[in-house]
Amino acid sequence: MKFFIDDLPVLFPYPRIYPEQYAYMCDLKKTLDVGGHCVLEMPSGTGKTVSLLSLIVAYQQHYPEHRKLIYCSRTMSEIEKALAELKALMKHRTQELGFEEEFRALGLTSRKNLCLHPSVKREKSGTVVDARCRSLTAGFVKEKKERGEEVDLCVYHENLDLLEPHNLVPPGVFTLDGLLRYGEEHKQCPYFSARRMMPWCNVIIYSYHYLLDPKIAERVSRELSKDCIVVFDEAHNIDNVCIESLSIDISEDSLRKATRGASNLERKIEEMKSTDAEKLQNEYSKLVEGLQQAEQAREEDQFISNPVLPDDLLKEAVPGNIRRAEHFISFLKRFIEYLKTRMKVTHTISETPPSFLTHLKDLTYIERKPLRFCAERLTSLVRTLELMNIEDYQPLQEVATFATLVATYDKGFVLILEPFESEAATVPNPILHFTCLDAAIAIKPVLDRFYSVVITSGTLSPLEMYPKMLGFNAVMQESYSMTLARRSFLPMIVTRGSDQAQVSSSFGIRNDPGVVRNYGTLLTEFARITPDGIVVFFPSYLYMESIISMWQGMGILDQIWNYKLILVETPDAQESSLALETYRTACCNGRGAILLCVARGKVSEGIDFDHHYGRAVLCIGVPFQYTESRILKARLEFLRENYRIRENDFLSFDAMRHAAQCLGRVLRGKDDYGVMVLADRRFERKRPQLPKWINQAMLDSETNLSTDMAVSNAKNFLRTMAQPFKARDQEGISTWSLADIERHEAKRKTEEERIMQQQFANGHNMDGIVKSTAMEVVVDEFDDDIDEDLMMLDPK
Amino acid sequence: MASKNGIDRRDEDEVCPVCKSSRYLNPNMRFLINPECYHKMCESCVDRIFSSGPSSCPVAGCRKTLRKARFRAQTFEDIGVEREVDIRRRVMHILNRREEEFDSKRAYDDFLEQREEMIANLVHRTDVAKTEAQLQKYASVNIQSIRANQAIEEQEASSFAARMTQEQEEARLRRQAAREQLENERREMQAGREDMISRLAAGSSADAAAIAREGHKVLLKKSSARRSEEDRIRQKQAALRGSETKRGGSSLTTADTAGPSDGGLIKGLRRIKTPEPEKPYDPFMGYVPEKRDYYALQPSYPSTYLDRVKNDTRTAAGGYDLQEYYSRTLVEAFAGLGCFIGEEVAQREAATSGLGLKPAATTSAAMAAGDES
Repeated sequence: MKFFIDDLPVLFPYPRIYPEQYAYMCDLKKTLDVGGHCVLEMPSGTGKTVSLLSLIVAYQQHYPEHRKLIYCSRTMSEIEKALAELKALMKHRTQELGFEEEFRALGLTSRKNLCLHPSVKREKSGTVVDARCRSLTAGFVKEKKERGEEVDLCVYHENLDLLEPHNLVPPGVFTLDGLLRYGEEHKQCPYFSARRMMPWCNVIIYSYHYLLDPKIAERVSRELSKDCIVVFDEAHNIDNVCIESLSIDISEDSLRKATRGASNLERKIEEMKSTDAEKLQNEYSKLVEGLQQAEQAREEDQFISNPVLPDDLLKEAVPGNIRRAEHFISFLKRFIEYLKTRMKVTHTISETPPSFLTHLKDLTYIERKPLRFCAERLTSLVRTLELMNIEDYQPLQEVATFATLVATYDKGFVLILEPFESEAATVPNPILHFTCLDAAIAIKPVLDRFYSVVITSGTLSPLEMYPKMLGFNAVMQESYSMTLARRSFLPMIVTRGSDQAQVSSSFGIRNDPGVVRNYGTLLTEFARITPDGIVVFFPSYLYMESIISMWQGMGILDQIWNYKLILVETPDAQESSLALETYRTACCNGRGAILLCVARGKVSEGIDFDHHYGRAVLCIGVPFQYTESRILKARLEFLRENYRIRENDFLSFDAMRHAAQCLGRVLRGKDDYGVMVLADRRFERKRPQLPKWINQAMLDSETNLSTDMAVSNAKNFLRTMAQPFKARDQEGISTWSLADIERHEAKRKTEEERIMQQQFANGHNMDGIVKSTAMEVVVDEFDDDIDEDLMMLDPK
Repeated sequence: MASKNGIDRRDEDEVCPVCKSSRYLNPNMRFLINPECYHKMCESCVDRIFSSGPSSCPVAGCRKTLRKARFRAQTFEDIGVEREVDIRRRVMHILNRREEEFDSKRAYDDFLEQREEMIANLVHRTDVAKTEAQLQKYASVNIQSIRANQAIEEQEASSFAARMTQEQEEARLRRQAAREQLENERREMQAGREDMISRLAAGSSADAAAIAREGHKVLLKKSSARRSEEDRIRQKQAALRGSETKRGGSSLTTADTAGPSDGGLIKGLRRIKTPEPEKPYDPFMGYVPEKRDYYALQPSYPSTYLDRVKNDTRTAAGGYDLQEYYSRTLVEAFAGLGCFIGEEVAQREAATSGLGLKPAATTSAAMAAGDES
């Protein structure tokens, strides 16, 4: 299907398009034309990815700038899905245009997923793969080989050097699997092919971290030009990703390992002094001159890089007191010993970076300046020493990164030292949390660097929260509703049980037997009437466990077992995936199953329950965060003081975005249907915070229901949904053909014209034209047959 | 015990190397070290051995004489680091040059490295004698600048501490204000609702909807009014804070006077001119009346009229000084003798005419230069 948005020809790989997809593309194009960042909320399951890709690819190919697209997604499977969509889109474009465009698109993921080396790829842990890969591919290893020493090299990586550096893979779209296959055929490393081909790609698809995590972004995404179009898909958690990328947790164990790492380094330096003192001297003189940047080390060799440092600082020379390798080691040792001393506390301490630095200086005479260069100095040292087993130095690197961050930022960070794991614990297990409080710090380089950043997801409400928290001004903020030919999902808020007692997971009454029983009956009733799968979300593991054990005591579980199998999500990933597998099997045959899971767990984020896998979703209780956590408290205070977001506003926003995310799990497309139940008294007042598409579908009469009313509503709804529904019924309403688009455009145009003319006519009294255009507008209900007649009526 | 670092929490089976008693038997055991030899021993051993004056270290092979007064608790787990920090403390105390004192960053970096080198020498016991000698020499030569820098450091530390406490206090106040505000809001909402209910109960059933609507509207208005009020207060606070930081920033001074020589240890120091010592205020701008040598003031002049006064104790008791009288009379008598008004006028005239001539001269010179080229 080919249509025009303004002057831009868009090729859409499907014969029909959803109206909201069309609106989304129009808005996206406007944003790209203007430049600037936008926040777009589009209902889940309405083909966000494909509309995004087809518009941006069309944009790329049509305009001479060929702006590159960087598409960031959250998980491996989402990346793979996006690549597959893109591949289909490019195939369609080739068919339509009749020739193949010069186009390259690659996905990038970790070495672990892309390795072909026969022994390395068998390693289970990602860090081990990274380290082993480095030891086979680093620049100095090759130099050694050339000098005639006996070292192992990766043949896949070596073969890359035989190829033209800008043509490692032929043009086209490669899915991750495709890239692996191509690599296997041509005996070349897929990971490094992708890395090195990035400057020559039209589309790059990778995970958030490659752009947001400053430690990685520096290496991977440095060469991207300013006019790239950056898209963050599934971005409802983007603030947390930003924060996590700059937060560091240090435990006693990691400090011990860091000490060991420092001693190892010391030994290595001694060795090198006796064998190859010249190299150390070279490094030293380079540092003296402040030339560390000029050094042409292959960037993929780097083992760590700098967390966001101001540019002027990067150009500065390393301070004199850590210039020599042995001085730097003693510096590191002192710092680690200091941290160890701090760990020996019996009460929780939270302090700001400046006060930490003063105390540090009082005790160990470590000043701020050299601390700032810690990470960079360590990188340089590791490179000079040509270390092979880099994974041993991971904890040391962490400490160095911590040092750099703590000395760089005065504001927006807090140090929290917790001596005990939980309130009740008596055995100390101290952890030093160095927490970033300001999401804007990590994303700021991205927002500053690129002209257009698109933040999009199925649940971004309330939209103004994101620009506020991330510190930017959005040129476009839009939430799209879902056009439906029939009411295919039924959101309801249940506030009372059948006995008219209020249900809530608020702390005061959550363990009240009456409330628990009411929740139990709600679930039993829904288990009785719903076909196939039901997904239930609880606010936390703790609450879920207590409520399940109470249900067991009340005999509610026995009743539910009459209708469905019960499966439970656990914090353990493998156990959960087994439960999920069983759940799917049970939904495919038999009477279905119930999956009990947690609103902030793995299931709520990445796993879709489309069609019969989820016919009903129950959200039991408002999924608030655990508010007693020190880190959260610090963050709330920071938000209040710096962004003027009040504690309760943020908590409720956060809870509702998770609730909406949970609800969105069951609806993955327009032919899907499902019941969505929010079971808590407090949801009634939080209704405006739900995404527009859910909010619109909720009738006012369904916001304050008791269990029995909700059940009878759901029964009706499910009965209606069970009636046969032809795809044709959707046409023109929730799916548009080309003619529909044109009609829409024509209508919009005449509407605009009419407004213009009305203004005109108000001055000049020209009624005739207004009448004639108004006549066309009247036509609203149409059939495919009269399309052509209508088109002829168009003023064009 | 409840210091910032809290109490020590070491392994249960830690044993005192001197008396071999373990923490298991004596849970309150504390270990002490002496910076003389850094051998660890428990508190009771220290009491037992060193109470009666200095004694030698009980650890085998260590012959150092230790005093009880110098025993202290260990800060760092690693004895090596403990010792290094002690040495560092001493060296940093002496070599405390600041970055502002150096010509370039490079010079400062070189200084830092040199200091690090000296510390490393002392720690690894290489060239101890030489390093110590250097340190001593430097300390004796630069005693003044060392003191000055120490003072600055102290001042910085105290101003930082003051700022921190102020900030903490502010944060606490803000937190409290936010809490109170939330509480007020809640109470108001509650009151509004109760008010509405009571009015509904009193009024007729016909205008129930109107009352409810009105109540809702009032609540909304209140909240928006509160918002704007809040904005205003915040702006005011922000303005206040801005002015405070400005004031705080200006209070810090980095005046420093480096000694002319630094004993030759440190290179690249900026030559700082010591400002001229301040002279007493001179109202006559260098004009000293006594210097005019038309006359010399004598201790006394013979005069029949004044002799009486000179010897009269009553005039002296009133503060009347005959010397002053002499000098005043003489100044008056010779006043104006050094001025030649005719000369001065001629000079002034010559100056003004010269100014008028100058531009013409320069233009002609420029023209001449142009001709030459």
